[in-house]
Amino acid sequence: MTPPAPALTDDDRVRAARLAGLRAAGIVVLSYIPFGIAAGAAMGATSVDPLISILSSPIIFAGAAQIAAVQLLHVGAALALVVVTVAVINARHLLYSAALAPHLADWSTPQRMGAAFLLADPVYALAAARFDVPGGGGSARERRGFYFAAGLTCLVGWTALLAIGVVAGGFIPVWVPFELAIPLTFLLLALPLIKNSAGLVTGAVAGVVALLAHALPLGVGLLVGAVAGVAAGVLVMTLTERADREPVDA
Amino acid sequence: MLELLAIVLGGIVTFVTRAVFLVSRRLRPPKRVERYLPLLGPAVLGAIAIPGLLAPRGEVNLVDTVPAVVAAVVAWLAWRFTRQIALGLLAGLLLWWAILAVMVSLGVER
Repeated sequence: MTPPAPALTDDDRVRAARLAGLRAAGIVVLSYIPFGIAAGAAMGATSVDPLISILSSPIIFAGAAQIAAVQLLHVGAALALVVVTVAVINARHLLYSAALAPHLADWSTPQRMGAAFLLADPVYALAAARFDVPGGGGSARERRGFYFAAGLTCLVGWTALLAIGVVAGGFIPVWVPFELAIPLTFLLLALPLIKNSAGLVTGAVAGVVALLAHALPLGVGLLVGAVAGVAAGVLVMTLTERADREPVDA
Repeated sequence: MLELLAIVLGGIVTFVTRAVFLVSRRLRPPKRVERYLPLLGPAVLGAIAIPGLLAPRGEVNLVDTVPAVVAAVVAWLAWRFTRQIALGLLAGLLLWWAILAVMVSLGVER
């Protein structure tokens, strides 16, 4: 990154950060087009009120949990089961919350609560890639500009795609296979966060274990994979740090 | 009404999972743990991406896995040289469709 020219004011930098957030999230929304419409179509085919299916986006704002919740309502599941399912599927957000906390420490409480509301998978990935660098993604205002631009873009985009799917899903033929768009997007969101061998081992182990555990209910396989990946990464960090220290100790 | 209530409660529990460590500046992971936080992103995103790349339609097999992995490697290369997520995605998807088209023309059942 080139240092900003002296003529650049704070406002200029905040505007640039907002634009960067909008652009980065816009690409994510584009990659979500097939999945968002397909998910909406699946929801539209249930007995659940279409308006409630659409409202699940701005209320829950987490695709997999929304789909599960609507499917469970469709089969007449008890309220408690729906809520517990959503909680288990979204438990990974605890990790995002912990990982992002140091970067948001200088924001006000309402600002951090707003950030928490928008903390979906891609929003976390974009924010972490932007903030986890030397310099930390600029001033608090610049970080907020980026974060809320990216988060609101994802929220509006995701809600719109899902609504299109709910309303028009039955009329949209499937011409081209798209099932790779979401995994590729998440791979590309993960890459900037992998900065060393520990990060690489973490991602690889998490992915393979998640695949092996994918038959577990409620998306628990994803959590099992993430925990295994972190354990492997911690081990690599410990081993490499020990290897770095040894010549000094000798 | 029950449906709306379920969605609203689902929204509340989701918000709680996202807000736990952001509620108070004092409620922070201990210093000893903090240096491991950068591993969380690769862990969760890897756990989302890799199963979809190795088993695009739910199971690992030659006709699904090989084209997807080749597309993933090319997406990674495109990202490495351009640092643009969009270009990585475009390169990966276009190559994947090309491989699928070749497979169809060779009569490989998918």
